[in-house]
Amino acid sequence: MQFEKEVEILVPREKVWNFIWDVDRFIACVPGCKEAKTIEEGKKYSATLVEKVGPFKVEFPTNIEVLERQELAHIKAQASGADNKIGSRMKIDLDVKLREQDNKTILGFVATVDVLGKLAALGHGIIKRKADQVLDEFALAVKKRLEGDA
Amino acid sequence: MLRRFRLEEPETVAEASEILGRFGESAKIYAGGTELLLAMKEGLVQYERLVNLKKLKGLNEVAQEGGEIRIGALCTHHQLEGSVLLQKQLPALTKLEQNVANVRVRQAGTLGGNLCFAEPHADPGTLLMALGAKMIAAKSTGQREIAAAEFFVDAYETSLQTDEVLTEIRVPTPSAKSRSAYLKFGYLERPSVGLALAFNLNGGLRDVRIAVGCAGPAPRRVEEAESMLEGKSREEAERILPQAGAAAGRASQAISDLHGAQDYKEHIVGVLLKRAFQSAIG
Repeated sequence: MQFEKEVEILVPREKVWNFIWDVDRFIACVPGCKEAKTIEEGKKYSATLVEKVGPFKVEFPTNIEVLERQELAHIKAQASGADNKIGSRMKIDLDVKLREQDNKTILGFVATVDVLGKLAALGHGIIKRKADQVLDEFALAVKKRLEGDA
Repeated sequence: MLRRFRLEEPETVAEASEILGRFGESAKIYAGGTELLLAMKEGLVQYERLVNLKKLKGLNEVAQEGGEIRIGALCTHHQLEGSVLLQKQLPALTKLEQNVANVRVRQAGTLGGNLCFAEPHADPGTLLMALGAKMIAAKSTGQREIAAAEFFVDAYETSLQTDEVLTEIRVPTPSAKSRSAYLKFGYLERPSVGLALAFNLNGGLRDVRIAVGCAGPAPRRVEEAESMLEGKSREEAERILPQAGAAAGRASQAISDLHGAQDYKEHIVGVLLKRAFQSAIG
């Protein structure tokens, strides 16, 4: 499943870039994300992603690895985790791009999400919709947080 | 494998509600178990307590009272497909119940359980929505009515509170002028699209209600299509059906999945609306 989102944030690019690397503040914008830790500054992180569809709950302890980083412009990262309780795995390939336009920042990201295992029994459509909702909420939270701080 | 759980066996709805309120998300109502136990065996959900409702009295009857058909939430699909009252008053519901899943599910599964589990590919909620049904949700402190259109919130989610028990489904008794039909189409075990149509034939089509299920996360009314048919004569309605079907498809919130792509499902909605109209009008 691939998702493409773009959000316009009314603050300069440098501020958005710094925010992305401020793990505690950034993680607070990811719905259902908790226990974020820095394993290796700028390279490896861990977090737990918790999501719910009706009575079905998943909890993915997730490892996040930054694969590429181009100052103020581009981040490529991969996140993967498994919920052994319900026998499911997920992998997210994330491509984040920042560009400045008239003192505001366009934050764009492409997320390729794969969910495998029993959770997939819920149906591709349901999972896709949930992932889409999560990404929308995330984009909105980042915008609110940064513009609120400005 | 099914993990260990405690089975609670309340004798009244108030007692069941009290248990559900006390244990919150660690407890779940158990009626037919046709959906719940499969999910539990797969390990997709885990509960410390199951609250067995099957010993509650008076929740498995079908009766006509005060201008309504009252269906107990614990009625099994099998019981409903054989109900003489339903055959006479709500033949579309009888036909639907005859075709729910398979004979094993119909024997054990209850109408209430089907509605409360809110599996997106279930049949009954869609027709009940078009028939203007109301759900009765009871708890220890009283009960409330929930219109079918407000009952379904999302995939696997209803507007019931944690401590509420669905006790009854009430459908307005149809008049001699009422017409209704439910049709479904699919090529897997569960339907890709279900469509229900209900209206009164009273110098034209009145009170038109169209609901689409299975295509999206939850059944929903498609008012855009209803308004196109409202007040039209039979002939006018027949002419306008292709446009109304297309509007119904667009408004159905169909999502692409293994049961079909979004545009495919939207097309099927249109086909089913045309056929449901022919079936309802007779």
